[in-house]
Amino acid sequence: MKILHLYYDLMNLYGENGNMRVLSRHLEDQGFAAEVERKTVGETIEFSEYAFIYCGSGTERNQKVALEHLKEHAEGFQKAVESGIPCLFTGNSLEMLGSVIHGLDGRDHEGLSLLPFSVQEDKDTRFTGDAVFTADWLGKDFVGFINKCTDLTGLSGETLFTVKMGKGNSANDNREGFRLYNLFATYLTGPMLVKNPHFMQYLIELIGKRDNESFVYREISYPYEEDSYQVTLNALLDRIQTK
Amino acid sequence: MRMFLTILVCKLLRFIGKLIGKGSSLPGEIALKLDPNILRKLTLPKYVIAVTGSNGKTSTVEMISQILRKSGLTVAYNKEGSNQIEGVTTFLLSDSTLRGKLRSDVVLIESDERFARHTFKHFIPTHYVITNLYRDQLTRNGHPEWVYDIIGQSIHEGSRLILNADDPLVSCFGYGKEDVIYFGVDRFSESTEENTSVYNDGKYCPYCKAPMEYEYYHYNHIGNYHCESCGHRRHDTQYTVTEVNLSDGYIIIDGEHRIDLALKSIYNVYNILAAYSVARLVGIDGEKIAESISSYVLKNGRVVTFTAGEKKGTLLTSKHENSISYDQSLRVARAHPEDTTVMVIVDRVSRKYFTSETSWLWDIDFELLEHDNIKKIILAGAYASDLAGRFSYTQIDPAVITVKKQVADAVEELKKHAVGYSYVITCFSDKDKFLAQVLVD
Repeated sequence: MKILHLYYDLMNLYGENGNMRVLSRHLEDQGFAAEVERKTVGETIEFSEYAFIYCGSGTERNQKVALEHLKEHAEGFQKAVESGIPCLFTGNSLEMLGSVIHGLDGRDHEGLSLLPFSVQEDKDTRFTGDAVFTADWLGKDFVGFINKCTDLTGLSGETLFTVKMGKGNSANDNREGFRLYNLFATYLTGPMLVKNPHFMQYLIELIGKRDNESFVYREISYPYEEDSYQVTLNALLDRIQTK
Repeated sequence: MRMFLTILVCKLLRFIGKLIGKGSSLPGEIALKLDPNILRKLTLPKYVIAVTGSNGKTSTVEMISQILRKSGLTVAYNKEGSNQIEGVTTFLLSDSTLRGKLRSDVVLIESDERFARHTFKHFIPTHYVITNLYRDQLTRNGHPEWVYDIIGQSIHEGSRLILNADDPLVSCFGYGKEDVIYFGVDRFSESTEENTSVYNDGKYCPYCKAPMEYEYYHYNHIGNYHCESCGHRRHDTQYTVTEVNLSDGYIIIDGEHRIDLALKSIYNVYNILAAYSVARLVGIDGEKIAESISSYVLKNGRVVTFTAGEKKGTLLTSKHENSISYDQSLRVARAHPEDTTVMVIVDRVSRKYFTSETSWLWDIDFELLEHDNIKKIILAGAYASDLAGRFSYTQIDPAVITVKKQVADAVEELKKHAVGYSYVITCFSDKDKFLAQVLVD
């Protein structure tokens, strides 16, 4: 199967490469021959070919470059999402999917309008901080880091997480990210699949079942990845307590 | 009168602070409360030199000071690393007479890249060096372009900019400015035509975002670049390292001045070049500069040799959350010509603030440790599992790797089982945990 690392070179704030390295190994461990294809601006993309699509976080300027390109492929991308291909959009890549981004550059950048939200960038305040989210659909807490200068408002539909520590979609909202079909969107940055093995398993089950209905996830232990989740979760829960 | 009192109070507090071993930012903080305009009232000397950027600030500032002092100038600088406005205030008032006149010939400021805009509201440097912009402490800094915009707010007319021509983002500061000097390093034996790092922040033009071309890379996005679309390119350099020989440990600047390297790394070469450029602009002769910093061993304590049991080694202070700083240390370890043990410690991510963020480990080129000479790798600290997870995605033989969550256990492992010479790579936040358990040479 092919997995797509979209805008690997532009939407690449830090550590994003870890997600693809870890996901492809875990898929192989489940018996899939997973091949990561890296695509960027200037290339033609057939989104329907992929079993999974990932896009990481970028600088505000890089995001606008990626957005212009993605808009050229909007129709194919939207069809892929609606067909239920599992996708993960992290950091400000998720902002490309709304109606508009009011940019630092003073311009309004029209988005793909898959959902009706709008985004306001703010040059004076950037939120950077560790995060713990909860999600009923996942069972366990989710850990990560947020690095953004935006508020997202006007979202209708399903959000992904509730914020225990960190920041929600906007200043007065403790809901975080969103889900659209099998597209998971969250502001968390970096290699979140490494840090959240339970979410990795959830995604692999989704990818596996789409490939083969009778797919059953085989339990495999990844002690370092499991421990690194636990270490960070404990550190963050301690932090919440001492605050 | 207000100035007189403010300076007096600051000096007294600094004096007391030194006696009881307190940090250097409190006296400045109080001085700024007593008189928020105190910095504007000072009579500054002819040369006010500031250095900012992601990496190399402390080393560059130390070398500038070394050269200027060797040339008979007196220099005041914030060597305690307190590079935010309060610390800068403390050191300026400490050097000042009670009438507000600085005593030294030169004021030299290491300036935090996010706080320079506050400091330089009060006064502006005559010479402003910007070394580089990397992925550095992004848990505070956001990202390099965000920092670029913030540094931009600290640049004012009247400052001569001294920029690293080889960094495409830093060199953008020169546009629209008249008084700009560029420094850079010519191609040398270790320059590569392809980018060999985990990521390439030079792939797109920072000015127009079209794809950028490189003639060669020195490391990461530092090299000789040009953009076909907007014409952004490496500027011609006024001060240039024309020859680099890392194996023999020397460089030649401007074709004639040889400087021997105490630390044989390309990163150190840039720091030397930045210091050289400033000193030339202050009017010091090139040969004189070369003499003052040839074989100069930095005193900032970042490279420490030690003995652990029977084993000899070097601790290379690197910055957590800064993959280029780590790459630099890994290259030093890899270049060791004989059997080598490498220990990496991540016990606390930052000494200054809380975070549990380890994404940066995935940007570090740990693959550099895939080398026949590297016989043993010890991964240590509370985040040893994060390290071990990252290492499990390299091609390094797992049999070479030992994982110890307690730094003390890792030190024992090193004392008993290190093979050959050891390099310990860790940050300010963790290095003392190691050094406390070995003999510092």
